[in-house]
Amino acid sequence: MNIQDNYLKNKKNIFFSENKDIQTYREKLINIFENDRFDKKNNESLKNINIKNFTDFKYKYLISEETSVINNNQENSYSIVSVNGQCSSFKDDKIEITKILDEDYNDFSKNDTIENNDHFVNLNSLFLNSGFKIVIKKNHNIKIKISNIITDDDLTIFQKNNYICEEGSSLNLIEEYENKNNSTSNLLNVIKLEKNSQLNHFLIQDNSPNHNLIITTHSSCKKDSTYTQKVYNFSEGYVRNFHYSELIETNSEADLQGIFFLKDNNTSNNKTFIKHLAEDCKSNQVYKGILNDRSKATYFSNTYVDQVAQKTEGYQLSKGILLSDNASYFSKPELKIYADDVKCSHGSTIGPIDENAIFYLRSRGMSKIAATKILISSFINEELSSIDDEQMSEMIQKKLVRYLSKVK
Amino acid sequence: MNSETLNTLDTYSKNKYKYGFVTDIDNEKPKKGLNEDIIKFISQKKNEPDWMLDWRLKAFSKWKKMKEPKWANLSFPEIDYQDIYYYSAPKGFEKKPKDLSEVDPKLIETYNKLGIPLEEQKVLAGVAVDVVFDSVSVATTYKGELEKLGIIFCSIGEAIQKHPDLIKKYLGSVIPPGDHSFSALNSAVFTDGSFVYIPEGVKCPMELSTYFRINAENTGQFERTLIIADKGSYVSYLEGCTAPKRDDNQLHAANVELIALEDAEIKYSTVQNWYPGDEDGKGGIYNFVTKRGLCAGKNSKISWTQVETGSAITWKYPSCILKGDNSIGEFYSVAITNNFQQADTGTKMTHIGKNTKSKIISKGISLGRSQNTYRGEVSFLRKAEKARNYTQCDSLLVGNQCGAHTVPYIDSKNNTAVIEHEASTSKINEDQLYYCRQRGLSHEEAVSLIVNGFCKQVLQELPMEFAVEAQKLVSISLEGSVG
Repeated sequence: MNIQDNYLKNKKNIFFSENKDIQTYREKLINIFENDRFDKKNNESLKNINIKNFTDFKYKYLISEETSVINNNQENSYSIVSVNGQCSSFKDDKIEITKILDEDYNDFSKNDTIENNDHFVNLNSLFLNSGFKIVIKKNHNIKIKISNIITDDDLTIFQKNNYICEEGSSLNLIEEYENKNNSTSNLLNVIKLEKNSQLNHFLIQDNSPNHNLIITTHSSCKKDSTYTQKVYNFSEGYVRNFHYSELIETNSEADLQGIFFLKDNNTSNNKTFIKHLAEDCKSNQVYKGILNDRSKATYFSNTYVDQVAQKTEGYQLSKGILLSDNASYFSKPELKIYADDVKCSHGSTIGPIDENAIFYLRSRGMSKIAATKILISSFINEELSSIDDEQMSEMIQKKLVRYLSKVK
Repeated sequence: MNSETLNTLDTYSKNKYKYGFVTDIDNEKPKKGLNEDIIKFISQKKNEPDWMLDWRLKAFSKWKKMKEPKWANLSFPEIDYQDIYYYSAPKGFEKKPKDLSEVDPKLIETYNKLGIPLEEQKVLAGVAVDVVFDSVSVATTYKGELEKLGIIFCSIGEAIQKHPDLIKKYLGSVIPPGDHSFSALNSAVFTDGSFVYIPEGVKCPMELSTYFRINAENTGQFERTLIIADKGSYVSYLEGCTAPKRDDNQLHAANVELIALEDAEIKYSTVQNWYPGDEDGKGGIYNFVTKRGLCAGKNSKISWTQVETGSAITWKYPSCILKGDNSIGEFYSVAITNNFQQADTGTKMTHIGKNTKSKIISKGISLGRSQNTYRGEVSFLRKAEKARNYTQCDSLLVGNQCGAHTVPYIDSKNNTAVIEHEASTSKINEDQLYYCRQRGLSHEEAVSLIVNGFCKQVLQELPMEFAVEAQKLVSISLEGSVG
């Protein structure tokens, strides 16, 4: 079934469909899809994607009987189980969680991403059927862990989450995606960091081969705020990680990092985009990928420095290791700079594991496989060792060992 | 007959002569616009055989179906292809300046700064050269020497007449006419260009340059150059003149094809310095150039060096297809944009063969309100075992109204290939500036010195006499925009 049919048929089940403004907006989107049918030739971001999966799908959504749980297990620490993208409301003096439907629709309808030409974000706006909003109250230091659970097969989840970190607050956010069914999840996170706030965002992705995950983040940072994101993609299914960050006031910082481990026929598309719109801001984009078998990956990174954004520091680094001769990696690190007092750079490398290093280890009596494994671990060690949370670090180590066990 | 009648007759006959003369010239120049008749006219003017005309017409029919590539980071008004002359006899035939005193003094000043001898200045300014400077004899001396070695160096028109086999075999083999709209346009209407063939095992003893032929044929706006280096040969080719040749052509769409067979090496250097438009961004050349080299044989090498300081718009990606095993591709570039200039330039390295190597060094300098983009693609195909690439692109920004952009595309399909890419963008280092000022250099001199140092990696790749002029050119381009 194509997008238009899906929309017309399921219109009444989609959120905010009774609102006129949103309806006209959605009709506009429908028109876009009619005119520009995921044109692969002129849109690099669609490289390697099996587009049919996303244009001809069967819309299916149900609110599960299993209810979501919010636990305040320790002080300042919460764990949330979101079921099919839904989450029940909760409120105390530190945080406030609201269901998407209880919220003012304007918050959700606005399409805040930098790139308004993103088909997947448009799909999300069109079929929006779940999501929630979390507000961290002023000057609180909070840790939240969200487990995303999808209950049935063949569900199509279009979820939008809003996060607001109020002035002086700090949030450690861990999101887990571990799904074993054949669903498609299209998630849009919109994050707002107020003055002097901080957000450490961890995304752990480990889905089964038939699960598609499309995740887009849009964060905007006000004065003295810091947004750090770390993505660990161990998924065996398709994952699209597109993360945008806007530095809108002075002295703010954005750090987007990611590691992906691919094998078999899997593909992954990654993009980071940082827009410097104010003076004295810093940004960092680091992506590392390990590709085995016939896997394919793309990584687009982009640093945009506006004319007013003097004293900017923006760095990009992309590294890829190809373990098999059928794997392929495409990277496009882009710089767009309109201010002169800046320090910006990018680096990109793609290649095999260093043969000299393998030789060194083998001459010390190690087997080739053991040497390869050690070198892969060391390739990403910097990222792994920077994880403070012991529990999480252990979990990631386990997943890494599982990935390495398949390396031959 | 009375005197009145005589007078009338006199005036009448004079008038008639005048008109007749004008009509004759009009016949020489076809009308504006692009259609099959124009192509037939060009082909006929050049005395071309039928197969060449067919080739042109085929390219034209392809062009009609194509659209201009739009992906570049450039903005310019739509080009009206019907508002251009596609064949022009040596320009300014009637209006040629008689001596240097009639030439724009600004231009003369630039020539003096570049240190170009007076005689050459006359050539470049378009003074009727054959009277003052017998470069024909110079050209013929060189030609004789080259002929002894079996090197063919002539205009492409001459080559079509005299060496149809080579032309048939190689023309369009690297840049197919249907590649994109500018290559199709060029294939349909090209009027001039150079043809070089270096026979097996011959090392060309001198740098070949279009300069030798400059008075014989006026370089057209749709230039087509074809260079073939046969097995084991070597050639270094210099394109264009190093001095600013004022040219009022609006659109340049040149095609350059290089073919290096086994063990052959081609070195191609360009210093492009066309009219960039005035301080307000009015006028200037649109330069849409396709340059591509094919390393067809084993151990072959193609090296591009370019210094781009001119043109209002530059759209140029000299690229290498590394097909032969162990072949090498190199690209060295300096692009300077000032005022309202826009440059989107870079390269494309396609690794097909085993052990192929490529190196890209690109330096971009933006000043004024200009936009300077590096766009480069490096791709390793599945069979490019042990291929290697190193890319470095640095940008320098002077002033806060300009933009510097870097858009590399990196695609690897082989797990033994290694690719490294690094880029940086910054402004002129204050410490270096301070150091130079302290030693008594003016601000402008200091900036010029630092920029020259920044470009040195590329400039040193240029042949000697080119390098000196290029360095001066860099300084001239910076003039008036710093301090």
